[in-house]
Amino acid sequence: MEHIAHDETSFVRPAEVGEMELYHAKTWLGKYVFSQDAKTIAIQYAATAIAIGMVALVLSWFMRLQLAWPNTFTFIDPAYYLQAVTMHGMIMVVYLLTALFLGGFGNYLIPLMVGARDMVFPWLNMISFWVYFTAVLLLAASFFVGGGSTGAGWTLYPPQAILPGTPGSEAGILLMLASLAVFIIGFTMGGLNYVVTILQARTRGMTLMRMPLTVWGIFVATVLALFAFPALFVSAIMMALDVLLGTSFFMPAIMTMGNEADHVGGNPLLFQHLFWFFGHPEVYIVALPAFGIVSDLISIHARKNIFGYRMMVWAIVIIGALSFVVWAHHMYVSGMNPYFGFFFATTTLIIAVPTALKVYNWVLTLWQGNIHLTIPMLFSIAFLLFFINGGMTGLFLGNASVSMPLSDTLFVVAHFHMVMAVAPVMVVCGAIYHWYPKITGRWYHEGMARFHFWVTFVGSYLVFLPMHYLGIMGVPRRYFEITGTTFLPDSAQSVNASITIAALVVGAAQIVFLYNLIVSAFKGKEAPGNPWNATSLEWQTETTPPGHGNFGKELPCVYRWAYDYSVPGVEEDFIPQNVPPRNAQTEVTQ
Amino acid sequence: MSNIFTEQPWIADTGPVAPALSGAQIALNSRRSALKVLLSVVSIFFMLMIVAYGGRMLYQDWRPTPQINLLWANTGVLLLSSLCLQAALMWARANKVQWVRGALVGAGALTVLFLIGQLAAWQQLTSMVLGDFSNPSVGFFFMISGIHGLHMAGGMVALTRAAGRAFNESNARAMEHSVSNCALYWHYLLGVWLLVFGLLFTGNNFEILLRICGFI
Repeated sequence: MEHIAHDETSFVRPAEVGEMELYHAKTWLGKYVFSQDAKTIAIQYAATAIAIGMVALVLSWFMRLQLAWPNTFTFIDPAYYLQAVTMHGMIMVVYLLTALFLGGFGNYLIPLMVGARDMVFPWLNMISFWVYFTAVLLLAASFFVGGGSTGAGWTLYPPQAILPGTPGSEAGILLMLASLAVFIIGFTMGGLNYVVTILQARTRGMTLMRMPLTVWGIFVATVLALFAFPALFVSAIMMALDVLLGTSFFMPAIMTMGNEADHVGGNPLLFQHLFWFFGHPEVYIVALPAFGIVSDLISIHARKNIFGYRMMVWAIVIIGALSFVVWAHHMYVSGMNPYFGFFFATTTLIIAVPTALKVYNWVLTLWQGNIHLTIPMLFSIAFLLFFINGGMTGLFLGNASVSMPLSDTLFVVAHFHMVMAVAPVMVVCGAIYHWYPKITGRWYHEGMARFHFWVTFVGSYLVFLPMHYLGIMGVPRRYFEITGTTFLPDSAQSVNASITIAALVVGAAQIVFLYNLIVSAFKGKEAPGNPWNATSLEWQTETTPPGHGNFGKELPCVYRWAYDYSVPGVEEDFIPQNVPPRNAQTEVTQ
Repeated sequence: MSNIFTEQPWIADTGPVAPALSGAQIALNSRRSALKVLLSVVSIFFMLMIVAYGGRMLYQDWRPTPQINLLWANTGVLLLSSLCLQAALMWARANKVQWVRGALVGAGALTVLFLIGQLAAWQQLTSMVLGDFSNPSVGFFFMISGIHGLHMAGGMVALTRAAGRAFNESNARAMEHSVSNCALYWHYLLGVWLLVFGLLFTGNNFEILLRICGFI
């Protein structure tokens, strides 16, 4: 390989603008509570999201206990069961996964990975977290109001959601709508920050096409969220007005409890369109950051450059764009025009093309790589297995004619848990284990982490794989109990019981995970600054954990992409992004 | 500047480092960029409400909102307020600080007048429909005009800050960015109001449009 001799001063032009001025907090409150440092805000987001996520996990235990041993647990009545179903779904999708990927990983990784001191608007960033926190409190408050939280299902379909007889149709649904509206306001503040920081605060040499795929995934997901959440916001306002002012946006003329309701002429289908115009991109708001992060984890732990980087970037962008034209595949049974169904089935199946391309590229990155079976790599491989499984069943459900008989069965529940619940959670766990040494400066307990992985991986399969078969048998979702149903054999109940046992064990393993994270942060072995020998900028900081301002006196200068692993002729098997060509190639063979 | 279509990122630099932190890209005002992203989000928001309105119009039991003449006057006031901000921007560029102050105060006063006018229009409509909000078009009017009004009220926070700065600053050119951002926001919200007013709240224009497009 040719040796490139450059004088560094002629190589790096001076920056044309000054650096951003950082806000330095003077009080303990300003530093740790109302912090404007993106890294602290990231940890606040993550802690809040995981805390409310644990509540949702316990709710899923209650559901499973009822399904496995009906009417054994007296505190779980039909209303409570529906409330648990609803709150579990909404919390997991919006308040855990969306907040954790964008607010948590986005805040921590964007400035570090693009070589910025902080987010462009640190104050707005801080407000964004506190607005999110308020949204979580509003949601949690709904557990304690008269009538309890809403039990309308996470889709909150009217007219059922606001009619008497549905659990939480009084204050519960209003608190849910208010919480969603507040969440969206908070997210918009954060989202503006992420987008502008990525577009305008990258360090010298960090072109868009040199950004790690993690940043690309978070960037496109943020754009999707900014454009998709307004649909949920509009529908939340309209439904709240239907409840509070007696308008009839979604409420048709209807009899309720033997009486005529006050509403006339509303259109419930309008809500479904608005909800799914948000709801389907939401799948990718969760999936795209996972795609980006897992790409980096696979590349780093297989010591190989990512296969087809440019394709991977464009696949993320194309998936994001297509996600806005597939929403009505969630509404095949709403009585839509068959041509409409055909259109949405076609767009849905087209989205499989860039998605499959990404899967091939992950597998090809692993192919002949120097695979290190570290904890992050184990979770990445588990992600691939869950994602491929969930993606395959998506092909069934994307086809209108196949989807209809499977609609509202446990097959759908199994599909979406595989593809957008367990798969992203695998990435969340892998990512936390991957960046944990950088965030805390310490190692986690390896044994506990491996235990956590194997129980979560095997256990999640034991939960969701048999669920497909129950769905094909015709077991409906959201039913309080299925015993005494003539078309189902007794074995269906046995499968339900085994799923519940697996779910309880998987849930308990998450307690080990959290224990490991918390205890290791104080007592873990000290970790070096770049324990994985990774190339991206967050691993090249002066201190670990990185201080306020992320980098030392000078911002790093980027000379290459983030995937220079096992470069032929170079002694080390990685070249950090900020190493100039002449330094990297001093050991080059002739 | 790098080209995302042709760049081959796997090739390390062999020439001067691409100046991502310099040149045209960073010369953009980051507040301006954030405002543009925000306005894109708000556009989606209003677009969805207009589409929902149109979708509901397709049903046979659709009844339009009663006409409120006061909205014409309110529209004129909002137009004047937007013009004031455009004038403030011109005077900021020409460094005429007194004129900038006057124009900003004028824009703020006219915006408050617009919001009061909208509240009066709400009151008129409420008495016209005798408090019955079950007609979807009435509900849409309250919702869309209310959300538009909230956006105007939110803009007043930024305008008040810009005006406050104008009274403490002798160099008008230093305020150009903030005045320019306020002007962009006001022009945008004027555009949104003209669209929803023209399409939804005056006559049956939206119905005519839907007929032309073959939806009705």
